[in-house]
Amino acid sequence: MSFTRTMVQDLRVRLAGADPLPPPPPVPEIPLPPARVFPSPKRRSPFAAAAARHTTALVGIGHVGTRYATDVVLQFQAELAVAHGAVHTELPEDWAEKNGLLPLQSRVREHREFLLRPDLGRRLDEPSVARLRERGRKGVDIQPILADGLSAVACMGAGRELLDSFVKSCEARGFSVGTPVCARFARVWLEDEIGEVVGAKVAAILLGERPGLGTGDGLSAYLVYDPKVGRTDGNRNMMSNIHARGVPPEQAGKRLAALAGAMLTQRTSGVPLDLAPLRGELGDAVGGGYRAPDPRVRLVSVGEPK
Amino acid sequence: MILDPIVPRILSVRRIPGADPALLRAYGADPERHRALGLITCDQDDPTYVALDEATKHAAVDVVFARSFYAGSGHASGRLSGEILGVLAGADADEVDEGLAALVRCLEHDACFYKADDKGTITVFPHVIASLGRYLSAQAGLVAGQPMAYLVAPPMEATVGLDAALKAADVRAVKVFPPPTETNFAAAWLSGELAACQAAAEAFAAAVIEVGRVPRER
Repeated sequence: MSFTRTMVQDLRVRLAGADPLPPPPPVPEIPLPPARVFPSPKRRSPFAAAAARHTTALVGIGHVGTRYATDVVLQFQAELAVAHGAVHTELPEDWAEKNGLLPLQSRVREHREFLLRPDLGRRLDEPSVARLRERGRKGVDIQPILADGLSAVACMGAGRELLDSFVKSCEARGFSVGTPVCARFARVWLEDEIGEVVGAKVAAILLGERPGLGTGDGLSAYLVYDPKVGRTDGNRNMMSNIHARGVPPEQAGKRLAALAGAMLTQRTSGVPLDLAPLRGELGDAVGGGYRAPDPRVRLVSVGEPK
Repeated sequence: MILDPIVPRILSVRRIPGADPALLRAYGADPERHRALGLITCDQDDPTYVALDEATKHAAVDVVFARSFYAGSGHASGRLSGEILGVLAGADADEVDEGLAALVRCLEHDACFYKADDKGTITVFPHVIASLGRYLSAQAGLVAGQPMAYLVAPPMEATVGLDAALKAADVRAVKVFPPPTETNFAAAWLSGELAACQAAAEAFAAAVIEVGRVPRER
């Protein structure tokens, strides 16, 4: 909007306040459009049907005129609401202690700051560093960290189960495991500082992943060998989609322990880590082969079209 | 509705990439510096003057010629004549293209006349230029970059309106064009701070509307 046009518009409002403008001319009668009915297609396009079998993406969802069908819109809105809800949930301050974990916090002070300042979420605040020095077991093989990440819902949901499964699997393999900690307002890279403070060989952070449509309860795990502040994502291995409809936490814990074992044997992680020997233990998670997608969970139920 | 914008109709926009020196000289360009011409005709002259000035802010072009036609677009010599021919001159066609683009943008989205009564039988141009370009600043004897209020209305309305504008804010009349101008309107250019120019333009528009409502006091 230009300066003068804005000025004139404001002037019009002001003049109307002092001296009402004449009523607007009557709206001419608009003839109704011819009624159009869009019957639901009797036969779906075979291409769309075939494509839909290979993905959870919204393909082959049909249309009504130029718009989506109501159930698709409702489904989308419901899924988006799940994601929004998860992002805006905050991990209660006393949750860690109630669950018997050593509570830590990043340099973030409040939730909004957490969302806006990833850099602050990657470093521990000073009381946390002191607490970790005092109470954390030092020089261990593996330091497990549970954290809220971008979904506190996921952390509070399956987080404990995943942590227990991971710790148990590590101990079964004979690794020394550090004091389990729970970090609040944590980003992935926080594991570098935690691992460095306790002098662990491998740091493993299990945290709520960025919610997507319909999944607010997904956990991810990031492992890094020889954690030091300044490690990059190229030094990490990760496993995502740890939730009931993806990789179940019980199974994920075992796979993560196998992955940590490989790191300890090969003394590296990330891109240089050779995953080939793990094919037996990680199964299809090593990648390469075709994996059938999980069916999309419907949050909105619709009756069959007649 | 009162104060609805009346969007100018751009009737023709043409470009002459390498104009003949005789033509350049006849239209006030300097063959030494100017080779290309950009021409425009429009059915509203004062918005076009503002838009030509705007063009000098966006490209290395000079406004070498800009004249309104007698009695305005209601009595045009042809369907493309409108009420003004504006000519931009530049060193090459690219500069002229840039200038024409800025000019058209200004005419489409910024400068325009407004209805001063319900039917648009009275029109008003209470335009505030926040920052003058090289063309109007030279015409007005002001410095480029200063604000200026560019006020136009029919003779009676403009005369009453100008008095209201000058009294409304701390502004100075740089140039007054009493009627009849070529198009039989009257106009004035006022200089002052941006806020003062705005207050003057608002007072001008309000007075023009008021005259339209009460044409005869006795």
